Amino acid sequence: MVAGKLTTDRTHEDAAFLTAMGLSKSFDGAPVVDDVSFSIGRQEVFGLLGPNGAGKTTTIRMLSTVLAPDTGDVTIGGHSVLREADEVRRIIGVCPQELALYEELSARDNLVFFGRMAGLGRRQAKEAAAENLELVGLADRASDAVRKFSGGMKRRVNIAVALMSRPQLLFLDEPTVGVDPQSRNHIFETILRLRDEGMTVLYTTHYMEEADRLCDNIGVMDRGRLIALDTPVGLRSTIGDPEEVTLEQVFLNLTGRSLRD
Amino acid sequence: MLRPLVLAWIELKRFGADRGALAFGIALPIALFALMYGVFGQGASFSATASIVDLDGGPVAAQLIDRVSAFDGLEVEMLTEADADEALDRSRILTAVFIPAGFSERLEAGEPASVLFKRRGSGGDTGQIVSQIVQGVAQDVAAEFEIREFVRSRLDGSGVPEAQIVATVGTLIERAAVVSPIGVEIRAVGEEENALDRLIPGVLTMFLMFAATISAASIVVERDTGTLERLLTTRLSVNQLYAGKFLASVGRAMVQALILLSLAFAVLRVGGAVAFAQVVVFSLLIAAAVSALGLVVAGLARTQEQASWGSVFLTMILTVFGGTFISVGETGVLGFLSRLTPNKYAIDAMGDILAGSGGLAEQGPEAAILGGIAVIGFVVARVAFRTA
Repeated sequence: MVAGKLTTDRTHEDAAFLTAMGLSKSFDGAPVVDDVSFSIGRQEVFGLLGPNGAGKTTTIRMLSTVLAPDTGDVTIGGHSVLREADEVRRIIGVCPQELALYEELSARDNLVFFGRMAGLGRRQAKEAAAENLELVGLADRASDAVRKFSGGMKRRVNIAVALMSRPQLLFLDEPTVGVDPQSRNHIFETILRLRDEGMTVLYTTHYMEEADRLCDNIGVMDRGRLIALDTPVGLRSTIGDPEEVTLEQVFLNLTGRSLRD
Repeated sequence: MLRPLVLAWIELKRFGADRGALAFGIALPIALFALMYGVFGQGASFSATASIVDLDGGPVAAQLIDRVSAFDGLEVEMLTEADADEALDRSRILTAVFIPAGFSERLEAGEPASVLFKRRGSGGDTGQIVSQIVQGVAQDVAAEFEIREFVRSRLDGSGVPEAQIVATVGTLIERAAVVSPIGVEIRAVGEEENALDRLIPGVLTMFLMFAATISAASIVVERDTGTLERLLTTRLSVNQLYAGKFLASVGRAMVQALILLSLAFAVLRVGGAVAFAQVVVFSLLIAAAVSALGLVVAGLARTQEQASWGSVFLTMILTVFGGTFISVGETGVLGFLSRLTPNKYAIDAMGDILAGSGGLAEQGPEAAILGGIAVIGFVVARVAFRTA
């Protein structure tokens, strides 16, 4: 287990695109996120893992300007989420855990609407919607109401919406929950393609093999604290031969086997 | 600054895409209007059915029945004696008029004759009115018959044909009825009060309130579905979010208000084009005021249940104390409470417009109060808003 102030082994720390410093948040006096610090480099896929109630979603909400931290700050692309929230919102895209879509509207209408809200003009939003529906493999279903889609298709639309502003940093909060292997694979390929095109990704999941496959660095949270931060290989090597040990074994070793919420 | 408009537009588009909500949204004002038309559309004049049993079958009985049939608002239902008794027993009718056998014959012989009224209990208000009408008609017929017999007896043996006597007496009676020597003047005291002048603004205000509060509760629904949080990570500010929700709520309420008003003005003919335009302007002000109040509920509510009950409670309180269906007066506790509701100002102002006793220009204070409620409500709602 890695203790103390956790940082990734980044050669050029100044290349960090996101830096969280001493983030804390309490609800009704109960600490949900407790002094969390980490950084994410440009064009990196960063995995944030943890059991239910570990504080991952609250952390993402603070990083994405929805919640103000009680203490600490975050800079994204050089902008503080506390003081320059509007600047931060220009460069981020958020795919929440819920299917945050208007189900009675078509996939295209959802994308165009959220694109307009992200600051795109009408024509730009339409073009971006067509491009992103193509990217997630739903161009032929653009006019269909979202409520007619399968769970996997809705997840893909959920991601496409987050991509409307061509964000530099994409937050993906458990984007593969409840989807079939085909859709999951499509989502992985999309993420890697976006990373290759220059996007930075913060990814949360409960599926360890996903994190192992996709992430350049992984932070593990438990009870509001960041308890480990390393590359997948680095984490695996903490309890044995990284070729033999799985990330799930590391996870259970770090967070224990007791049931959570 | 286009974002609130885009947000409002997508809300209306969602409303349109939800066929159930759309059908309900359009059907409800039409149903409400149909209810109003059923109550007031036929006019407020008296209408009833007189159940008559003719056991006589003679000419005077026939004349009596014809006269009753000719009375405005009164229909005649001819029954057999057995049917009438059974209908009375079963309370299907509360009053029946029996013309006894020999009725015409007795009158023609110069003897007194009478009709029989059978009634269940008091006969009901309508039955009592019908009885009075039939009695009046019977007295008229008897008087005409008596005059005719009197003239005939005086001219007996003069060689004047019977037909000429009957025709001349008939003409004189008709002329007396049309050109009565005693004139009756009806003079109205105070302004004539039309129930629709109060009911239409009341129903419209209540309807706008329902539509607006339901629409405003969408913030809570969006919080639950995650779209609110997603919106808050875009460049949409919370002020813009509220402005968009406010515009959507007003727009949706106005669609329904226009349906209701168009039907009321077109079918019930409660006013002309100018009054219509003025009432639409006031509808917009009410929609703005109640939308802002709906947003206050949505801002305070943490769950959909809280939002729903909050909206229902708010609507009920404002409807009752605002004098939606009955005037609560200007004095006393009720008068004081009514002045705290936007409904009162809206109903008073629109009532005056519909009654023709004041145009838009005369309703400045009411318009200012409704506008003020909209602004204050919007600010309170914004302050009450919390992300989580």
